[in-house]
Amino acid sequence: MSGNQSVKLIVDGKRLDGRTLNELRKIRIEVGVIPEADGSAYIEWGGNKIICGVHGPRECIPRHEASPFRALVKCRYSMSPFASLEEHGKSGPSRRSTELSKVIREVFENLILTEEFPNTQIDIYVDVLQAEGGTRTASITAAAVALVNAGIPMRELVSAVSVGKANDEIIVDLGKLEDNFGQSDMPVAFSSRDKKILLLQMDGLLTKDEIKRALQMAEEATTKIGELQRKAITKFYEEGEGEFVL
Amino acid sequence: MDRRIVLPGDKIAEGNVRVPNTYFENNNVYATLVGFIDENKRYVPIEKRYKPAVGETVVGVVTDARHAGYSVDLNLPAEGFISTKFMHATLMLGDMIVARIRSIERNGDIELTDVRRLPKGKLVEFPSAKVPRLIGKQNSMIDVIKKYGGGDVVVGNNGYVWISEKADIPLILKAMEMVEERAHKHGLTDTIVAFFEKEKIERAQGKR
Repeated sequence: MSGNQSVKLIVDGKRLDGRTLNELRKIRIEVGVIPEADGSAYIEWGGNKIICGVHGPRECIPRHEASPFRALVKCRYSMSPFASLEEHGKSGPSRRSTELSKVIREVFENLILTEEFPNTQIDIYVDVLQAEGGTRTASITAAAVALVNAGIPMRELVSAVSVGKANDEIIVDLGKLEDNFGQSDMPVAFSSRDKKILLLQMDGLLTKDEIKRALQMAEEATTKIGELQRKAITKFYEEGEGEFVL
Repeated sequence: MDRRIVLPGDKIAEGNVRVPNTYFENNNVYATLVGFIDENKRYVPIEKRYKPAVGETVVGVVTDARHAGYSVDLNLPAEGFISTKFMHATLMLGDMIVARIRSIERNGDIELTDVRRLPKGKLVEFPSAKVPRLIGKQNSMIDVIKKYGGGDVVVGNNGYVWISEKADIPLILKAMEMVEERAHKHGLTDTIVAFFEKEKIERAQGKR
């Protein structure tokens, strides 16, 4: 995150891929893609391709970790070796993937009604097949859908998006280049109903006013993403009720 | 077909009314599971994990013989246990049983009673949220399946279904798949009867 001013990321109000400042990349969500998992989802978000499977509640292993009061939420985020230009996932978990597993887990620990399933664990597996910036936000968005598909009770849904700054302009949904060469990157996750912030990280610098504006833009964007999640789930469950023709 | 699909966090009702699978906040009731609002304005979840309750019927497989009883796999995070106090017949590993939940211990383990050993057959999984539809009102659906399937079927609330080897297993599986797909449609039993009748005719023609 150099904040390199010489890199032109925005020209005439348009970004490198032709988007306007608050425009999202193309998002497609599919539900129930893995029959073996209790719940699953696949998301294509610009150049990101992420598959997410949920198992559980199931027996907690190792047993001494189990809580008699609530279910444990475990998350494993991993990037496939071919996902990106950098080295990823070739030799087990990295510092980065451990961090992402943690932040994703914490988002869902705040949403899942874990008290309903004591002595168990709920596993969220996120596999990034192709990466193009913003995988943690896309992972959270996909995992929320997978958890709904798994029938795990949650207080509400969650959608995430990254906001940031490039060429002194606040932008929404940063792509890989904007992430690497922009001035700042701030992934945010908003819950669907309460609009609670469940994830907030920041790289680079933003002023207080910029953060306020960025959060507002992120909230608008997550509302749009929430609609896409709703559409995907609704479509999945309505098509399952197709007519039987004799 | 104006059934509204409901997602976690969607408002279902106002005021403190008790609805299963919801939570109460800001004087509103919110859903926790994906479901829909049916014609009687009731909230029906589509996806749901089975939570055992005392008195319910479950189907399971014996996985271990211990000195005081048997462990049973019930497709749940916790194990079932049959105490020899309530079961005098000898069970073998892999035996399929149907039983009633006697009590649930604090660690989640489930004690079973009224155990009946099931003869040879096939054990299949069925989404537990849709088990009520597979049984039907006053067993209407399961009776139809037994009648046309030509053999016994036992449905556990835990989502395990046992089908007798004497029955037409592929046909029953097909019917179960249909129930699963169309679980929340009207006239489901009639649809399944129509399906069986159609199959019957087709088979008769095929044999000719």
